[in-house]
Amino acid sequence: MDWMMATFFRKWSLFTFAFFVRVVLVVFGVYQDKTMIVKYTDIDYHVFTDASQFITEGASPYRRATYRYTPLLAWLLTPNVFLTPVFGKLLFVTCDVVSSYFMYNILRARGMSCQAACGYCSLWLLNPLSMGVSSRGNAESLLAVLVLSTLSCMERRHLAKAAFFYGLSVHMKIYPVTYALPLALSLRTRDKVSTGETKIPMGRRMARFLLGLLNRDLLQFFSIAGGVFCGLTLLFYHMYGWEFLQETYLYHLTRRDIRHNFSPYFYMLYLMAESSWSLALGLAAFLPQLALLLLASLAFHSDLAFCCFLHTAIFVSFNKVCTSQYFLWYLCLLPLVLPRLTLSLKQGLGLLVLWFAGQGIWLAPAYYLEFEGQNTFVLIWLAGLLFLAINTFILVQIISHYKQEDIRHIQKLD
Amino acid sequence: MVTKVFLCAIFLVVEIYGVAKTEEDNCDLSGEWLESLKVTRDIWKMGFHRELVTTMECGRQSPEKLHALLVQNLPRGVFVDPYQLASLQQDTGLQALLHSKVDLEAPAYESNGLSMFVYPKRDPGRPGHLQAVVPIHGRYHRPSSGQGWERIEIEPPRLFLRANGCAQHLAVAPPVLMDAPCSGHNMSMCKWMEVQLPQDQRHISLELPVGDWSLAVPVCGGTLLVTLLCCVLIANAIQRHGFQ
Repeated sequence: MDWMMATFFRKWSLFTFAFFVRVVLVVFGVYQDKTMIVKYTDIDYHVFTDASQFITEGASPYRRATYRYTPLLAWLLTPNVFLTPVFGKLLFVTCDVVSSYFMYNILRARGMSCQAACGYCSLWLLNPLSMGVSSRGNAESLLAVLVLSTLSCMERRHLAKAAFFYGLSVHMKIYPVTYALPLALSLRTRDKVSTGETKIPMGRRMARFLLGLLNRDLLQFFSIAGGVFCGLTLLFYHMYGWEFLQETYLYHLTRRDIRHNFSPYFYMLYLMAESSWSLALGLAAFLPQLALLLLASLAFHSDLAFCCFLHTAIFVSFNKVCTSQYFLWYLCLLPLVLPRLTLSLKQGLGLLVLWFAGQGIWLAPAYYLEFEGQNTFVLIWLAGLLFLAINTFILVQIISHYKQEDIRHIQKLD
Repeated sequence: MVTKVFLCAIFLVVEIYGVAKTEEDNCDLSGEWLESLKVTRDIWKMGFHRELVTTMECGRQSPEKLHALLVQNLPRGVFVDPYQLASLQQDTGLQALLHSKVDLEAPAYESNGLSMFVYPKRDPGRPGHLQAVVPIHGRYHRPSSGQGWERIEIEPPRLFLRANGCAQHLAVAPPVLMDAPCSGHNMSMCKWMEVQLPQDQRHISLELPVGDWSLAVPVCGGTLLVTLLCCVLIANAIQRHGFQ
C-alpha cells in the first residue's frame, strides 16, 4: 500500500509541479509583456485573440489577417475576450500536461513501471521547450493532446474514441493526415497463413493485402474519423464559406513562403519563385517526403507510436516550409520512442547536442540576414542543408537502434 | 477597427482658400517661424526590421497647442504592420493611421505601396521637438544578379499643422487645407493646413539583401542532390531495420 501511495504521489507531484511551473511562466509572461520591450507572448496568440474578438462580434475569424487555423480554435478561445486574456494560455499549458498524461498511459500500457513512465514523461513535462511554447500562447499543445490521445486509445483498442480524436486532430492541423496510412495498415486483417507464402504470385498477394483493408474495425475507424472531419468542415464552410477552406487547408497545402526558414528547399524556392520551373521543383521537393512516408508506413505500422514519430520527423525535415514550432510535433512523440532505443546515454546526448548545434548554425546567419541586413542567403541555405543532414543522421541512428519488441520494465517494488 | 480607420482617414475635402489671414491672428506662427521649422528624417536599426524616424524642430516658442500630421507614402518594398501599430499605440503612444489594407507576407513584386497618417508627439526630453518613430519591415525582393542588395527609397512626407484656438490659417498663402482625423485616437475631423517642407528634403533609403539569381543552378542542383541523398539514406535504414 505504501509503495502505491509513494508512486501515486510521485506521479501526481510531477504532474502538479509541471503544471505549476507553467502557470508561473504564464504569470511571468503577463509581467514581462507589461514591463519590457521584448514581449513574452507569442505573436500568434494575439492573432488567436483578435480572431476570437471577431467571433464574439458575430464576424468571421478570418477578418484577422494571418489567422490560418480552424474557427474551432477561435471559438475555444472566446473566454480570452469575455473572461481573461490569459485563458488561452492556461488552456494550452493544461493541454501540455494532459498530453503527458496520455504519454504516461501509453507507457504504462506497455508494462512500464510507474517511476520509469514518470521519468520518460518528465522529458516532456520538464522540457523548457514545451513549457516555453505553451506558456507563450502557442497552440501546438492542443495537437499534442489530440495525437497522443489517438495513440493512447489505439493502444487500448478503443477504436471509436481513437477515430474521434484522430478526425479532430486532422481538422485542427492537417499534418496528422499522413498518419492515415499507418493507422489503416495497423487495423487491417493480417494473413494467418505463413507457410509457403513465397510461392504466392505478386498479384494475388496484392489482392489479399487490399482485401485485408476491408474489415469492420478499419471501416468503423475511418467512417468516424471522416465523419468528424467532414462534419466540422461542412459546419464551418456553412458558417464562413470559401474563406475557411482557403485559410485553414488550401493555404497550407499550396504554401510557398519564400522567406527564410529551416527548410532545405527555402533558397531554391525563393530563387525560382517566378520561374517556369517553380511547379516542377515544388513537385521534386515533394517526392522524397512522399516516398519516405509511404516506406515508413509499410515498414513500421505495427508500432504506431514509432511510425507516427518517424512520419512527423520526416514530414517536418523534408517540408518546403519549416519553423521551430514544427519540431514540437515530433518531440511530443519522442518519450514513447526513447524506451525502446538501444542507444547509450552518451550517444543519445551526442545526438541531442548535434540537433541543437544544427539549429544554432542556422540561426546565426538567419539573425545576420534579418536583423543586421547582411546578405547571408547562401550561408542560410548551406545551414539548412546541414540541418537536414543532421536530422537524417539522427533518424538513421534512431531507426537502426530501435527495438520493436517490448522492453518491459515491470519492477516489483514491494 | 482598421477598416473604420481606413474609411475615416480618407481625405474628405481638400479646400483651397485664396485669402491669407493677417499675422496677428496666428498665435505667433509667423512666416518667420515657419521658415525656422526643421524636419529631419532617419532610419534606425538594420536588416528587415527598421524604424522610420521623423523629427520636427519647432523652436522653443512653438505653441503648446500645435499639432502636426505627416502624410507618409511607403513604396512596395516595405510595409508597416497594422497590428504592431495598434500594440505600439498602447505601449508607447504612437499614433499612426493606415489608409490601405496591408499584406504582411507578400514579396515586394506582388505588393502595393501604402500611405499612412502619422501624428508626431512631443519629445519630453527635448522641448520644441516633435517626433514619430514608426516601425517598418522590409519585404523579400526578386533575386538579382547584381550587388546582392536592393535599395528602397522612401519619399519625404507631406507636413500638415493645426493649432487649437488660433485662427485657422497660418501665414501661408494660399493655404492648402485638408480634413483629416484630429489625432490617432480621435476620429473626429479637423482642418489641417499643409506646410511646404524646405526643398532640400531628399528621399531617404534603406538597403535590403536579395538572393543571387546567378546561383540558381548550383542552388537547385545542390538542394536536390542533398535531399535525394538524405532520402536514400533514410530509406535504406528503414529497409534494413523495418518490416519485422
